[in-house]
Amino acid sequence: MPDSVPAPAGSTTPVTSSSTRRFTAEDEALLRESLRRCAPSAFEAAVQFRKTGNHEHVPSILMGIIERFVEPDLRPKLREGDDDLRLVEDLGIDSLTMMEIVILAEGVLQMSINNEELRNLRNIGDIKAFIDAKIRGVPTAAPARFTPVDELSAVLPVQPPFLFLNEASVGPDGAKGKYRITGQEFFLQGHFKGNPVMPASIMIEAIGQLAMLYLIQAMPVEAGQIVTPGSIYFTGCEGIRAHRICRPGDTLSLSIKPKRSKCPLATFEGSIRVGQEKAVMVEELTLTFGLMPKPESA
Amino acid sequence: MRKVYITGLGFISSIGNNAQSVAQSLRDLRHGITLFEPFQREDCPVKVAAPVRGFDVSSLDPEDWTLPEGVSLRREVLRGMSPHVAYAWCAMREALADAGLSEADISNADTGLYAASGGSPYMLHGLLTRMNDHGVMRVSPLAVVSSISGTLNFNLVAHLRIKGASCGFSSACASSAHALGFAHDEIVLGRQKRMLVVGAEDCNRESILPFASMRALSLQTDPDQASRPFDAARDGFVGTGGATVLVLESEEEVARRGAKVYCEMAGWGQASDGHNVAISHPEGAGLQAAMQNALRHSGVQASEISYVNAHATSTPIGDLSEARALRRLFTEAGLQPAISSTKALTGHGLSLAGALESGLCALALRDGFTPGSANITRLDPGCEGLRILRQTLPEAPRVILNNSSGFGGANVCVVLRRA
Repeated sequence: MPDSVPAPAGSTTPVTSSSTRRFTAEDEALLRESLRRCAPSAFEAAVQFRKTGNHEHVPSILMGIIERFVEPDLRPKLREGDDDLRLVEDLGIDSLTMMEIVILAEGVLQMSINNEELRNLRNIGDIKAFIDAKIRGVPTAAPARFTPVDELSAVLPVQPPFLFLNEASVGPDGAKGKYRITGQEFFLQGHFKGNPVMPASIMIEAIGQLAMLYLIQAMPVEAGQIVTPGSIYFTGCEGIRAHRICRPGDTLSLSIKPKRSKCPLATFEGSIRVGQEKAVMVEELTLTFGLMPKPESA
Repeated sequence: MRKVYITGLGFISSIGNNAQSVAQSLRDLRHGITLFEPFQREDCPVKVAAPVRGFDVSSLDPEDWTLPEGVSLRREVLRGMSPHVAYAWCAMREALADAGLSEADISNADTGLYAASGGSPYMLHGLLTRMNDHGVMRVSPLAVVSSISGTLNFNLVAHLRIKGASCGFSSACASSAHALGFAHDEIVLGRQKRMLVVGAEDCNRESILPFASMRALSLQTDPDQASRPFDAARDGFVGTGGATVLVLESEEEVARRGAKVYCEMAGWGQASDGHNVAISHPEGAGLQAAMQNALRHSGVQASEISYVNAHATSTPIGDLSEARALRRLFTEAGLQPAISSTKALTGHGLSLAGALESGLCALALRDGFTPGSANITRLDPGCEGLRILRQTLPEAPRVILNNSSGFGGANVCVVLRRA
């Protein structure tokens, strides 16, 4: 079985017809048939969307469609409403299921989506943002650049056993990452005796590592220059609050956003959540960095 | 030559959904033919079929299907299936349990899977209709996988995590006999230790009724009279569907696992008519050659054959040409093996036929009976000199020939021997 199905590129023109064409009883019957395995709320929302063209209905239509294609035992996860839920890893949605979701969404929302556009959708938040932009006819945001764990240690100066990211996505407005506490971390043997708790200081380190990745991959700097990976160090941190004890088995969802920067300093805000629960919030974390000429080959 | 044994069987058929009920139907000559609801329309002169019980697979959407109790499939498994794949899934469960094989036992480099079905014309038609009515991009992404010829092996090989040889066979009504033959060779050649052989077909308007216009189907309205191979008044075959799975294992593997065996598969042979795309050779030349090749390949003399499970589908031309081939091979040599066509009970399963009938023969060898040919009121005079069994005999044959013939004049003969 191929792991992705090639299909010719579809039109990328935004949808404008939904509010201009009359929504007939026949349309409603078709809609009911195609959404018959989705929650009734998705059908209601779809009727409203098709009648009024009001974009506010789109998220509940989409969530209804996605839920229908997720195995029943994984649906509670989806209902928690975490936009960071990953399609493949967390929800078991493979590329063929993604096609099924797209085909149904295309029919219900009366739009078409091409393959290129799909390739970068990694989590629920990506889908919502993408469809929303598409329906409004505004350009979709540049896709985040995803770095899996085996590439992270090639990109970052920091290495295991002191690397606290399993994967990360970097976009122009910030970065997101994941780290699953395995219980095998060496420091958990002593922190604490018989009671392994992820140290808050390490979680701040993890936020710093994500900020470091942003500096290397996405920091806007003068033309012809890049951030020197080996030049990045911690300088300060403010407004730290720890809200939740994190233990082995928890998956940390990390997020950073740049607040301001002027070489050689860059300041970020950062957060860690576990599911929807706040774990650590950092108002300001500042790193220092140096620049070097961009190598020819890059 | 390495010996090959049949160590597991699974049936989803018109005469039973497990080996035990199938064997009982054969002993009692109980058929599975009925007035088939989807055929009861004025424009359809064909009224009977031999449907599978315990399934509702009539929807184009597999999520609507009702499968037998205890069978539940995840959506991601179900979504690429056609009706006959669901039958085969259930037959496979039974065959693996029967052979005492776990999932790990079959997911390795030593185990392969060969399959045969005609694909699903029903699914293909439904999906193409959707494509034409709703647009090229509005069809299920699994449309191809669930409908084309090969859907049976695609689904089973992927979902059973088969790592060895896998392939689909397409020679119409000889397909699953070909699958069985080549599976046997894989073991004999030492390439595989174990082969799962699957034959399956849908059972619906789309799989059966296209044979009506070529006048191949019985127009009988009495289910008890409809399928009567070798009877002078036979008027065509009765369609069926379902699935049969046979587990083949090498002698070493049987010894290592301490597996129980149904029988030995001693060998097989094939030959082609080179005559007509749809009509069998009037003298059964290809079939006779296939039987001779099978005997030679197995090192078995014609005189050792005690039972022939004939292909005889109950069509006027086909049964007669097979009768002629049998007469030349046996009667003219002064031999009188018992002959019957179990299609009188099961209906004709097309690509499924070879696997189904070899499965029935394996049951007969283990359980000790010789299946009779039902529904013969007046034997066709063309069968003179042949010992056609009218009743099931309570004794096991020693060596069996099982014949299958398909479009294009393909003929396959499988040799099974009491273990």
